[in-house]
Amino acid sequence: MADDQPDRGPEWGMNTGWAIVGTLISGMAVWGGAGWLIDWWLGVSFALPIGLVLGAAGAILLIVKRYAHLSDE
Amino acid sequence: MSSKLSGYASSDVAAEFPPGLKDFNYAPFWDFHVLGVEFAITKLTLLTWLAVVGISVFFLLAVRKPKLVPGRLQWAGESTYGFIRDGMARSMIGDAGVRFAPYLTTLFLFIVANNIYGVIPLAQVSPNAKISLPVVLAILSFVLFNWVGIREHGAKTYFRNLLFPPSVPAWLYPLLTPIEFFSTLVVRPVTLAVRLFANMFAGHLLLLVFTLGGVALLASDNFLFKGFSFFSFLLAIVLSLFEFAVQLVQAYVFTILTASYLQGALAHEH
Repeated sequence: MADDQPDRGPEWGMNTGWAIVGTLISGMAVWGGAGWLIDWWLGVSFALPIGLVLGAAGAILLIVKRYAHLSDE
Repeated sequence: MSSKLSGYASSDVAAEFPPGLKDFNYAPFWDFHVLGVEFAITKLTLLTWLAVVGISVFFLLAVRKPKLVPGRLQWAGESTYGFIRDGMARSMIGDAGVRFAPYLTTLFLFIVANNIYGVIPLAQVSPNAKISLPVVLAILSFVLFNWVGIREHGAKTYFRNLLFPPSVPAWLYPLLTPIEFFSTLVVRPVTLAVRLFANMFAGHLLLLVFTLGGVALLASDNFLFKGFSFFSFLLAIVLSLFEFAVQLVQAYVFTILTASYLQGALAHEH
């Protein structure tokens, strides 16, 4: 893809923004949701915060891996 | 209104304040069954059909007798198509994206036509204010970008790149694969549909509140309330202009996100 990058208009940055926000929310929703289920099943209350942090960390890692190279251009 | 239709939108505006969900339920004027499936043709169905006919006629007339120096209609058709082809397909996806320009143009115009019904007199409601139409459009875009990705890379490689991003260590896959699955295959189509639907739904409700509110104030016995209806109607007019902008922007956003998903499906991981 590197050699046939299209001309990037302003909307290109907007899409990257949408994608990053989507990944962040997905991370917290998936693992926060899993943590909430564990809390609910086992009657404990520590899994939700752990899940939220894990999900956010995973999402940030994905975002860095996928979009960090853009800042070099 | 007869009691049979009490659950549906009424034409008696003064009695209809405050507006609610009932204002989105139109009484079907044609009901029939095909193979046991019920079809109910309402005002919204007609508006959607009209949009299809209008867009088809527009483009058929625009390219009927193409001239080197285009006439007004040909100019309108070509510049609309050119706007989507260059400003969206080519700028988002690259030269490989030009083959999607017809779909993106049709999608954009279809959503624009259905959205601006919300401020067109007599229509005054967007079919996209019911979630069914945005859902169908989102499913179309969802199936298209996955199909394009599978065609480009093969199903195995496409889903492997999607679910197991190659740039992260393998021991993190248990953490990251569910996130990728959720964000690409669930969040994308759901947000496409909900964003369009919620904007059109809220816009319609907002206009109803201030229009019907103005009517209700005008019909009240209190002199001050009567005077206040002026501001309610004024706000309805201002918000109509605002809604028109929202309707265009939402059509643009839906189309450009579809283009962005297509670009993601075609891209090769580094």
